[in-house]
Amino acid sequence: MSPIISVQHLYKRFKILQRRPGLGGALVNLLSPRYSEVSAVQDVSFELEEGEVVGYLGPNGAGKSTTIKVLTGLLVPTSGEVHINGKVPWLERERYVREIGAIFGYRSTLWWDLPVIDSLELLQPMYRIPAERFRSNLREFSRLLDLDSFLNTPVRSLSLGQRMRADLCAALIHEPRLLFLDEPTIGLDVIAKEHIRQFILHVNRQRGVTVLLTTHDLADVERLCERVMILDRGRLLFDGSLTMLNHRFESTWTLHVDFEVEYEDVSLPGMDPPVRQGLHAEYHFDHRQVTSAELITRLLEKFRIRDLEVRRPPLEETIRRIYREKLLIN
Amino acid sequence: MRHQLSLYLRLISIQLRSQMQFRVSFWTDVITTGLLNFSYFFSTYLVLQRFGSIAGWSVAEMAFLYGMIEISFGSMDMLFSGFDPDSFSRFIRQGLLDQVLLRPVSVALQIFGSAFVMRRLGRITQGALVLIFALVNLPVHWTPLKVGLLPVMWISQIAAMGALFMAGSTLTFWTVQRVEAINILTYGGVEVMSYPMTIYPRWLRGFFTYLIPFIFLNFYPALYILDKPDPLGLPAFSPFLAPLVGGVMLFLASRFWQVGLSHYQSTGT
Repeated sequence: MSPIISVQHLYKRFKILQRRPGLGGALVNLLSPRYSEVSAVQDVSFELEEGEVVGYLGPNGAGKSTTIKVLTGLLVPTSGEVHINGKVPWLERERYVREIGAIFGYRSTLWWDLPVIDSLELLQPMYRIPAERFRSNLREFSRLLDLDSFLNTPVRSLSLGQRMRADLCAALIHEPRLLFLDEPTIGLDVIAKEHIRQFILHVNRQRGVTVLLTTHDLADVERLCERVMILDRGRLLFDGSLTMLNHRFESTWTLHVDFEVEYEDVSLPGMDPPVRQGLHAEYHFDHRQVTSAELITRLLEKFRIRDLEVRRPPLEETIRRIYREKLLIN
Repeated sequence: MRHQLSLYLRLISIQLRSQMQFRVSFWTDVITTGLLNFSYFFSTYLVLQRFGSIAGWSVAEMAFLYGMIEISFGSMDMLFSGFDPDSFSRFIRQGLLDQVLLRPVSVALQIFGSAFVMRRLGRITQGALVLIFALVNLPVHWTPLKVGLLPVMWISQIAAMGALFMAGSTLTFWTVQRVEAINILTYGGVEVMSYPMTIYPRWLRGFFTYLIPFIFLNFYPALYILDKPDPLGLPAFSPFLAPLVGGVMLFLASRFWQVGLSHYQSTGT
């Protein structure tokens, strides 16, 4: 089966006008504008299979949004090839956008002054959704997203969480095969985030919708994605499964130990001395060289121990390391 | 095409509904804009009464020129509300064009449907009253051609002035800020067309004959309807050029719009 998204050697460069200061500068700008070039996306290539949920991660300004804008047909790239659903997004925009849904977390795609239901009903003729399908989809999504209580409220009066739920409904009402989410949980509280994640998983599993999402919240990634792509300064640093990411980069684990009694020396031969605080000690170790089982056995042989806990570094830490150390793998 | 039209009507009806939510302020707006515009005409009327005529045009004949343009400009301003460079530049700045590009419908249609300022009814009504005043006081010898020319003038004027709105909005794809020069052309053009072209200096008349041929939209058809001789000696078909001028201007503006839109999509302002 051919991939639903295929991106090959994508580049996007922006020209930025260099403004000179002062009134004279403004005049000079007008007569001989000076531009500097910024590469937002450089040589990015990847493919997505139908039904995947993929996280597209990177620090601010890494080029995530630019990529999403190209993939949704809003922006024409400088060079490179993009085929989605067999179409080139920016060449046949009107036909292409019919098959995708998109959400930009920072801005609603709905009509600001209209009640939610009016906005949704406008989408029916726009996407030429058969009335029957529209009704049944609306029923299903209202139930899953709990929209009923604010269907008649204008979009501008919704809370952020409500707005995001309304937007999700709008993005999926025409049954797209692909969903692009740019920061879908930004600014939401824990419960609202979880609600949205559950819904995304639901449409992925029940309807087979392929999802590409950018986020700063790695809990989104851990909950939703089996695969992640990591972007930094326009370049793809990592593309692989979350397990692989953990395995390759999460080298330092921590073992937290609470002793029954105070010991003079709790260090183990061949290991870094632990960080101690009273009865508590933290052993940092490379799990690829020593397994936690082995370490625990050795400790139990020497000391009387009340509690043990193994902690893997949070995903955030791992990803921060990838940015910092520019670890590049394919 | 039918689908597009029904979608457009749907978008407009939503605009109207939200504008009618505040009924009182809506009607006071309609009436004040009508009165405000009428006061311009009335002051001119008072001055003209003392002189009797200007450049051979009586008060009623001038009312014909003025009334026509007011009706057309008001209609255009209502129909092309979305393309008003002032509001469109705001639209761009707020990044609202992205949500338009995400919909499987032509961008121009969505912009047409994005605003429909009903308040302009005030200006249209005022223009209609002035035009009725003119027609009642003028001894026009009506022929089928003259009767037919009135709606043709109306539509052509809407098209030509709408083209300037569209061009002004297109410029904001590059500048982001609205461009004052094009507004001067639009509103200045309207002002110029409200009076007999013979009162203007030669260079200004030349500008509105050969560069932006507004002279054929109102002045020449009016000469024909009012049976006045052509003081400028242009070809005999000049009174009938209005639809050509309107059509060509709107065509050029829509091509320019397409260019601007692709520019926007490659720079992502």
